[in-house]
Parts: sequence; C-alpha cells; structure tokens
Amino acid sequence: MSFFDRFRKNKAAEPKKEEPKKAAAPVSKAPAPAPKEEGQCWTKTDATVQAALLPAAELGELLPGAPPGGKFNLAIYWAAACGGCDVSILDINERILTVGDMANIVMWPIAADGKEHDIAEMEDGSITVSIISGAVRNTENEHMVKLLRQKSVIVVSYGSCACFGGSPALANLVPGGAKELLDYAYTKVPTTANFQADYHKGAPVMPQNKYGAPEGELTLPVLFDTVKTLDQVIDVDYYVPGCPPMQESISYMLKAVADFAYNGVALPPKGTNIGVVTKTLCEQCHRRKEYRRITKIVEPHEIDVDPELCLMDQGILCLGPATVGGCNAKCTKAGQPCRGCYGPTAAVQEQGASALTAIASLFPVLDDDATMEEGKIIDIMSTVKDPLGYFYAFTMGKSLIKRSVSEKGGK
Amino acid sequence: MSEFEPKIVAFCCNWCSYAGADGAGVARLQMPTNFRIIRTMCSARVDPEFILRSLAKGADGVIVLGCHPADCHYIGGNYRARRRIALVRMVLEQYGFDPKRLKLEWVSASEGEKFQKTLTEFVETIKTLGPTPLQQEDE
Repeated sequence: MSFFDRFRKNKAAEPKKEEPKKAAAPVSKAPAPAPKEEGQCWTKTDATVQAALLPAAELGELLPGAPPGGKFNLAIYWAAACGGCDVSILDINERILTVGDMANIVMWPIAADGKEHDIAEMEDGSITVSIISGAVRNTENEHMVKLLRQKSVIVVSYGSCACFGGSPALANLVPGGAKELLDYAYTKVPTTANFQADYHKGAPVMPQNKYGAPEGELTLPVLFDTVKTLDQVIDVDYYVPGCPPMQESISYMLKAVADFAYNGVALPPKGTNIGVVTKTLCEQCHRRKEYRRITKIVEPHEIDVDPELCLMDQGILCLGPATVGGCNAKCTKAGQPCRGCYGPTAAVQEQGASALTAIASLFPVLDDDATMEEGKIIDIMSTVKDPLGYFYAFTMGKSLIKRSVSEKGGK
Repeated sequence: MSEFEPKIVAFCCNWCSYAGADGAGVARLQMPTNFRIIRTMCSARVDPEFILRSLAKGADGVIVLGCHPADCHYIGGNYRARRRIALVRMVLEQYGFDPKRLKLEWVSASEGEKFQKTLTEFVETIKTLGPTPLQQEDE
C-alpha cells in the first residue's frame, strides 16, 4: 500500500475513484499503450537506458607515430592513492601504445624510472600533461604535486581520491588527527601492539620524522591532520572522477590530449569534468523501479538480489540517485549498489546530503506517524548504520564540513 | 568579556511556522534576536545541504520549523523532513557536533507563543553549548 492510498481511502473515496476510471476507458481503446503504473512519472525502457550510456570516444588510428611537434612529456604521479588509478590507465588496452607513440613518460612511479630530482631539474612548463591520482595527506604528496604543477602545462586530477578525497579523506573523521592515527597504527593494532609489548615495553617505538644517522640526517614525510583533495592544494585543469575511472571516461581524456597534440584541436574549457554525463547513475542503470518503501536495510549478500529490480526497492542502500553517471552502471549491473565514486552531479556540492535526502524519503510513512514520539523516529532511522561513512564514502574531502570537530563546551 | 550571542538560522515553512512567527511578531511577544528566518515552502524543502552549509558558514545552531504532523500543506512533507533531520542529526554527531545544535519543531500558524517559547529555549540551549566548534578552529 503506497503512502497516498491512505488519504484516498479516508477522503471522498467514491468520486475520486470513479474519475480516473472514466478517463482510463477511452485510452484503453487506443492501440495498446504501455501499461503505466500508478505513481510512476516516466518509463524506463531498454532504449532510454541505452541512450543514456556513455560510449567510448572514437580514437582513430592505433599507432599514429609522434605528433608533428615531436613527442611531448607526460608525467603520471600517485599521491595518497592505492595504485588502482595507475593500473586503470592500462584499461585502455592496446591504446596504451598510442600513448607511447605520443609522449615520453618522464615520471610514473608504478612503472617508469623517473625520480623527483629528474623533475626538479626540468624547466617550468616542460611537462605537457601531468596526471595525478590520490589525495594529498603528507608533506611528500604536497611537495610533489606542487613541483609537478610548476613544471606542467596541464594537470589532470585523476580518480576519486584526487577529485573528492576518496577513502583516504575518511581519516578526517578521526578527532585526534595524525597523532591519533599513528598512535593507533603503531601501538593499538594487534600486530604492532604485540610487537611493542614484546620488545619495547613502556616506551613504544614510533616513526620519527627526523633521524640523525652517521651518514647524515634522514627524514620522513609528515602526516597532515586533514586529508586534502588535489584542487585544495594546487590549481587543477581537468577532473576525471571514478574509483578507478572507467575505460570510457579515460578514452575521452586521451582523445582530448591526442586531438590537441596531433590536430591542434582546442582543449576543453578549464575545470571540465571529463568522462561524465549530466544526469545521475539511475539513468544508466537497467534496473526497473517499483517505488517500494524501505522497511529493512540489507546488504547484497544477505538476500537473493533480483537482477531486474532497483536495488533500493530491495532494501539495499544505493547511492545511484546522488551520483553522476559516466561509469555505465557497471556495479548495479553486477548486483552491487553504487557507492558514489563518480561524485555528485554538477548542480550539487554535497553528494552525501543528496543521498541522505533520497534515502530518508524512502522510509514509509507509518499509520501512527501523526502521534509518533521523536524517539521512535530515531529508532527507525538508526537502521542506517554509519550514515556519514556510507554517504560520504568518497566525498569527505570535498564536503562542506570536511573534518571532525570537537565541542569545546560553553559557559 | 561580553556574553556569547549565538547566530542561529531558522528555516520556517511557509504555511505554518512562518505565519506563526508573524503571529508572534504581531502579538509583540518578547524573544531573543539571535535567529535569522529563512522561509521555505515546506519543511521538506530544507535540503540537508542547507543545514550543513549554514553550519559550515559559521551558524551556531540550525532550527527547522514545520507544520504539525498530519497538518502539512503538502500532505506528507513534514514526515519526510522528520526522517531526514533524524539522519542529519546522526551525521552531525559523527562529525563531532552536539546534535542539539540542530532542532526540528512543529509550530502551527496560530502558535505565536509556541514560536516564541521554542526559539527562546533553542537560543538558551545554544548559549549553553557555546560557539560552533568550526568557528573555533578557524581562529
């Protein structure tokens, strides 16, 4: 029973019920219109889903040889990232050969042998494109991205961590900041706790940022209290979101660079989000929606997921309605909910707030809602475990509040 | 040191609470002046982003006022708002805010006195809590 049925029953059930039937009768004579379900404002068909998908960009010749102006320099760097973004660049398959034809890779820590001093010795602006993945969370990340910015003409913020903070930015929610994180990692985790108890009882060994060795002073990067997104530290020209960016999204980045290098086609305007569509993921998702209400939240492994029905209808929290499309809904196709890695749509800053709005509205209005105590509402909504971590899984660094706060108390 | 005067953003629904606030004014009820009213068409129009943005810009507290349950001009808006606000309060608590900084209350068009009472109490609550923790970090 939908929410509005209650009111239909209570208020003037007789005339209201008759009218739609009269209206429906002539329509039924028309040649078989698509059955329109009550409460549904638009119909999703295979054609609309197909039209919403993002096709891979047309890239032309496979081995075009060096561009007219000679090979340009390309740097690929990871800051606070897992390395998945670097690997995802290889998702363009044989197209990686085009990249090899087009550019000298002057730095790519995961695959090539360019060092920090090699970059530092270069002239400003001698790297044409720098692709940087990962958030900025320590002094080394900060130094390297500033150095690459100085030496590069174009900087691409690649992947969710660079664009929105990603998973590393969830560390912003640790109230004690870097100190608490290090304390936990080096003294509280079972492996390190046992080690400290066995060998350094009383005075646990902690990593130092400086160490005076006989050969000279050794240093380690200093961890920041707040993890930053790339564009909070340096000026960024383009964004390619995704965890990691899908092959289709990468193809648009490659196309823009190749067109610029070979044909002199103008680059997209600064600040463009490359490889995304304007609408949300739901538009690209093949699942049909029945507008059911959530009464119990489940994880995908707890139920037999219906392969055709919207995941929200089945009680699985999906961030699709709040996430911009571009990934062609690969996760929902595989029966996993969207976790929001492509970030918010252009109209929204807070992806988490959007998701929260959408999901809170799916909880049904109950019969005793008018007389309900506030405590019961809290009980109902407590079925959402860890809302902050779930709704802001990828966008904490870009959120309005950004990090945990601590109440100092008033008078 | 002068007493801490909080800045409070009050979202009032057009049909009940805004009229209630009007009623409180017409009746010349005395109340603190720490709040700024923003009129929205419905309490469900208050996107959680509005609340977070208010806090991010330095508001010490946010209060959302809507029609009483079963009184909503749009039939079910206040029920949605109530569920959202409950979730936003959970989110604020996870951030480290005291969830008392966000309040949802029902004030009808005729309840000028309740408007005055609610706002006075809320201003008192925020005065007890002190300035927003975000502002303190920026200083």
